[in-house]
Amino acid sequence: MPAAARTYWLTSPCRIRRKDESLIIERDNAANVHIPVTDVRDIVACAETDLNTAVISLLNRHRVNVHFLSYYGDYAGSLLTSDTSTSGETVAAQARTAGDPHASVAIARSIVDACAFNVRRVVDRKLLARPYTVLRESIEDSTSQAQLMGAEGTFRRSAWEVIDTKLPDWLQLNGRSRRPPRNAGNAFISYVNGITYARVLTAVRLTPLHSGIAFLHGTMERQRHSLVLDLSEMFKPLMAERLLLRMASRNQLKEHHFDRDTNQAMLSDTGRKLVVQTIRDEFAVTVTHRTLARNVAYDELLYLDALALTRHCLEGTPYKPFRIWW
Amino acid sequence: MITYDDVGGVHIKYLYHCRRQLWLYLRGIRPEHLNAAVQSGEAVHDTSYTRNTPVDLGAAKLDFVDGSHWVHEVKSSSRPSPADEAQGRHYCHRLHRVGIEAKGAVLHYPKTRRTQKFPYTEQAAVQAEADVEAVLAVAEAPASPDRLARSGCRGCSFTDYCWTE
Repeated sequence: MPAAARTYWLTSPCRIRRKDESLIIERDNAANVHIPVTDVRDIVACAETDLNTAVISLLNRHRVNVHFLSYYGDYAGSLLTSDTSTSGETVAAQARTAGDPHASVAIARSIVDACAFNVRRVVDRKLLARPYTVLRESIEDSTSQAQLMGAEGTFRRSAWEVIDTKLPDWLQLNGRSRRPPRNAGNAFISYVNGITYARVLTAVRLTPLHSGIAFLHGTMERQRHSLVLDLSEMFKPLMAERLLLRMASRNQLKEHHFDRDTNQAMLSDTGRKLVVQTIRDEFAVTVTHRTLARNVAYDELLYLDALALTRHCLEGTPYKPFRIWW
Repeated sequence: MITYDDVGGVHIKYLYHCRRQLWLYLRGIRPEHLNAAVQSGEAVHDTSYTRNTPVDLGAAKLDFVDGSHWVHEVKSSSRPSPADEAQGRHYCHRLHRVGIEAKGAVLHYPKTRRTQKFPYTEQAAVQAEADVEAVLAVAEAPASPDRLARSGCRGCSFTDYCWTE
């Protein structure tokens, strides 16, 4: 996302107050922080946060979204500003594309392919070579979104197994489980996926697209922003799987970073802080973009991908979902 | 899509800068507020000549008109461009349509402390009329115009949209 402002991550319980035309972050045992509202692109609240109407109206005027992660670390919801970026013409074009079975399956296909490509890229090229060819074949044969999701699930299962071979015993996934995550590894993945979802939502809200009209996931399914589910597919491996493997191999994740009960696990307070800091820094990492010929942060890649999809809907230029190119 | 009376200064500016930009702008692609240069331009606008009141002509909004009917426009760039001139010309055209005999446009460049004067002549009136027609023609086009050469896109807030692959 363009660099005119930045994301603020709230990791300790706090209250956001409005002081004239700027924000004050109040915390229990730390000094107040004053933030000019023009510097804020969006806020990710990873801990308990209080805010009131005065703040909301200021945030709305400056189009600042706030994303909330719940006590258990899953995505709890967002405070979204009014839909000032969407454009009728683009949304109509998007709906036409989504309504055309041929066009929407083509997009869904390329999303699944790009997602698997990225998983394979960050997990293991050799061990996943075979599952990836199988996936590509079944993508070719698929004619519906459900079939594509099934093929992706099969590929993902082999990927989770490969990941397990690279993790210490206590961090192994033993199959993906959600709501609640059953063990430490799953808790980590869920948490990072929640943040990625929130970041993609911010990105989509900056483009003229409608966040509910999707191509792979059912439109408006589960009262979620389905388009965001679509677009975050490609970015989850870049953040979740990659960071899990990296932090495990660097021995950064310790057992005390997780609270574990018999059949569920979540990040502890210290763990949460560590993970949020890591993700925040990771989103700021830059790579050279080939056609823009400048450095772009990972954060911005989400926005650029949503723009590419906008172009596909509005102008019919080919849409190539994000693939890790470096 | 838009009518003769909806054509404003921004449309004219984009017409001169890049027709593709105009086409996209008309279809609701508005990435400007994300661009640091645009924000800085707005800041220049907010802090320069604050004693004068802007004139709202509906679609067009011009910075101010002085006592002898010269239109004044404040520009944040340091280099005058044909688009700036066209914008001033369009404002004169709009004023004439509501019965104010604007004499011409004065463009202010606070960064370099220069001004440029463009009297509104017969010829300018014809050109202003042609510009409005050109905007309407771009609006009608079913397909988007091609991108400019890459170098022409430098600094444009639509670059991300046009050039991401």
